[in-house]
Amino acid sequence: MKGIVFNILEQVVVSNYGESTWDDLLDAAGSDGVYTSLGTYPDEQMMRLVQAAADALGMQPGAVVRWFGRQAMPHFAERYPDFFTTHSSTRSFVLDLNTIIHPKVRKLYTGANCPNFDFEDAPDGALLIGYQSPRKLCALAHGFIEGVADHYSEVAEVEHLKCMHHGDERCLMRMTIH
Amino acid sequence: MSAAIESCDPVEFARLKRRLERERAARLEVETVSERSLRELYMREQELRLLQDIATAANLSQSVNDVFQYALARICDFMGWPVGHAYLVEERGDSTVLKSMKLWHVQDAEKIASFRAMTEAHDLAPGEGLPGRVYRSRTAAWLSDVGADGAFPRQLPARESGIRAACAFPILVGEETVAVVEFYTSRAVEPDEALLQVMPQLGTHLGRAIERQRAEDRLVHDASHDPLTGLPNRALFLDRLNQAITHGKRNPEAQFAVLFLDLDRFKIVNDSLGHLAGDSLLVQAAARLKGALRSGDTIAVTNDAAAAGTGTLARLGGDEFTILLNSINGPSAAVRVANRVEDALRLPFVVDGQEIYTTASIGIAVSASGYETADAILRDADLAMYRAKALGKARCELFDQEMHAVALKRLALETDLRRAVQNEEFVLHYQPIVSLQSNEVVGFEALVRWQKPNGELAYPAEFIEITEETGLILFLGRWVLREACCAVRALQQQFPREEPLTVSVNVSPRQFAQPDLVAQVRSIIAETGFDPRCLRLEITESVTIDDAEHVASVLTELKELGVRVSIDDFGTGYSSLSYLHSLPLDVLKIDQSFVAAMDKSSESRQIVRTIMSLASNLGMDVVAEGAEAAGQVAQLQSMGCEFGQGYYFSRPVDLAGASAVLIRPGWLAEAEGRTGTCHESQRGLPAEFTASKAG
Repeated sequence: MKGIVFNILEQVVVSNYGESTWDDLLDAAGSDGVYTSLGTYPDEQMMRLVQAAADALGMQPGAVVRWFGRQAMPHFAERYPDFFTTHSSTRSFVLDLNTIIHPKVRKLYTGANCPNFDFEDAPDGALLIGYQSPRKLCALAHGFIEGVADHYSEVAEVEHLKCMHHGDERCLMRMTIH
Repeated sequence: MSAAIESCDPVEFARLKRRLERERAARLEVETVSERSLRELYMREQELRLLQDIATAANLSQSVNDVFQYALARICDFMGWPVGHAYLVEERGDSTVLKSMKLWHVQDAEKIASFRAMTEAHDLAPGEGLPGRVYRSRTAAWLSDVGADGAFPRQLPARESGIRAACAFPILVGEETVAVVEFYTSRAVEPDEALLQVMPQLGTHLGRAIERQRAEDRLVHDASHDPLTGLPNRALFLDRLNQAITHGKRNPEAQFAVLFLDLDRFKIVNDSLGHLAGDSLLVQAAARLKGALRSGDTIAVTNDAAAAGTGTLARLGGDEFTILLNSINGPSAAVRVANRVEDALRLPFVVDGQEIYTTASIGIAVSASGYETADAILRDADLAMYRAKALGKARCELFDQEMHAVALKRLALETDLRRAVQNEEFVLHYQPIVSLQSNEVVGFEALVRWQKPNGELAYPAEFIEITEETGLILFLGRWVLREACCAVRALQQQFPREEPLTVSVNVSPRQFAQPDLVAQVRSIIAETGFDPRCLRLEITESVTIDDAEHVASVLTELKELGVRVSIDDFGTGYSSLSYLHSLPLDVLKIDQSFVAAMDKSSESRQIVRTIMSLASNLGMDVVAEGAEAAGQVAQLQSMGCEFGQGYYFSRPVDLAGASAVLIRPGWLAEAEGRTGTCHESQRGLPAEFTASKAG
């Protein structure tokens, strides 16, 4: 996983719970905490940090990840404003993930392993989002979507119709914007 | 906060915290700088790869279309844009247009259908629209949002197709813009300066593909076109013709025709004014032929393959042109084209400041006869052209099967004649020329006969024309002259007279044109020991009109040799009397047609009388040919004609017969009893030997 994700996680934790909490999490996860945005670090380290946070907060790891995704978005927006200014809604932003945003991420961070989404319009106007990744970070995607909605002052309701964590081949999320 | 830190000196703590902030800020800055550098490095790498891919494609690919198709896809992929399209620059006469190559890279074809349709349907002028501006400026251009650009003519379909940003760059060969490629995306995008820097290089690479294609096209064009006139050559014509034949087999209702065209009098221009003048005439004539085809309502000359309602004009070589007319509804359409061609040639051509007139002899063969090969239809059109020429030039003839039969017969005859000349399968017959005063034989006209191996005796009308066309006449003519001199010399010795017997030998136009004719005559005279004063060479009027200077100088030289020259078949040609007057001619032979008609028409008698008075004024002797009946002989005698020749006296006879005639002329013995059957010429055979009017 790219160091930038660890950096953002640090920012989210520090801004919500203070620097000591981040130190505690690093200690609990057995990490030295040396993450630069350009480096690549084992996914496992992220999992351990998430587990440590879950333990500390008494939450499920999935809930921690989702929370992090949502909280991370303002930090991303600060760091990469261009991604956001070319859109005016959650829906258009999400729809551009495969074609615009992830290709740009790959340009920024060579070797970045971005997931692929597939999209389908539901008859009622909702967007069905398919997700498949060995990392099974559907919760992160969920949180990111909520964070994007926050950015555009919208409310995104995301429902997991199928989930890899429940033995499905791929995750299927239903996004409704309010 | 842990207790350890709280126990610290607060000032020290604050300083440590600031130091930490500084370090963090420094780290973020380093990261930012590194990210940017890495990004730029990555971009450069990607650009280099793009350039390399395009260059490789441009160098390796077989066709321009393939290269462009690949480049559109590759560049779209690079930019992440969904639409790419190419325009080709086309010169149309004086103007230049950008025309869609109909090459697209599209992600969602349905979405941009209306934009695509309009783009393909409308050519752009230089300066018009984004591609037009790129063409004119020869630099890449970028529109962040075409909707905000007043000078984007495809605005409406662009909006329908969800197109926002656009960019385009020129494809250059040297300084020339040969194509423009354009790209579109559905978002508003600010100009990408780095990409704009790369575009000229892409344009240069892609230009190489076009340059190479052009060089190949030029080679192909040169191999299939006549360099002088720029028209398709024989190879290309045959190719098109074969296509038409193949097409015709599948679609029997699709008729086509081949026009075979030969410029009359071209050789005279070439020979008299030189090859440069001849070339100039060909180029001008080709342009007029092109114009004649283009002006037609149904026919268009095209460089494309045999498409419906089109024709191909080609130069086969020399002064021979061919026209393939596709999709005609019958022979009359071909004849109409032939008439247009004749009309187009009507006005004089100006070559070297001289006005030159030419016409065309045109042969037409139509596909209705069911041709299997291009050669066959071309051959038949050629035969029909020869018929047109034989029938007086400046006309067209449709091929019919009879022509083919005649041609086959001719070919066989030609083969036989070559053998005949080699084996000397010829004999001479002699027709007495008689003094109308004394009724005595004064000499003979030597007439050639072809003694075929099967014993059949062929008359000149059957073979002289071919020997003249093939050049065999040169060999045959020499043989005849030598043989006649030998034989008549023997007769002279056998029948010595105060005025020795003369012999008249025909000389054809082609013989006469030989530069060494006089030398040949001189050597044969020397060889045979024949008295040149007894030799008369007979030429036809057609010989005299070709090249006056040459004719006059040859005649003078012959005269100096002592040889006399007769003008044969007088009255049938076109020579003007004043012109004849300027030539040193000795004998005038009145054509047998006038003599034959003397009985019936006073007009003919008047003509004969006029010719005789002309001859007498010019100091020429007169021989009346075709004297058949006693009445004619009597009339000729009464008009004061000096010499006669014809069946009344004797038909042409072999050497033994000639001796017999000299011993005892039949017309003296049984003057009243005989009935001249017919003169050779009156059996439809042109007069003797060179009486062939081929020329």
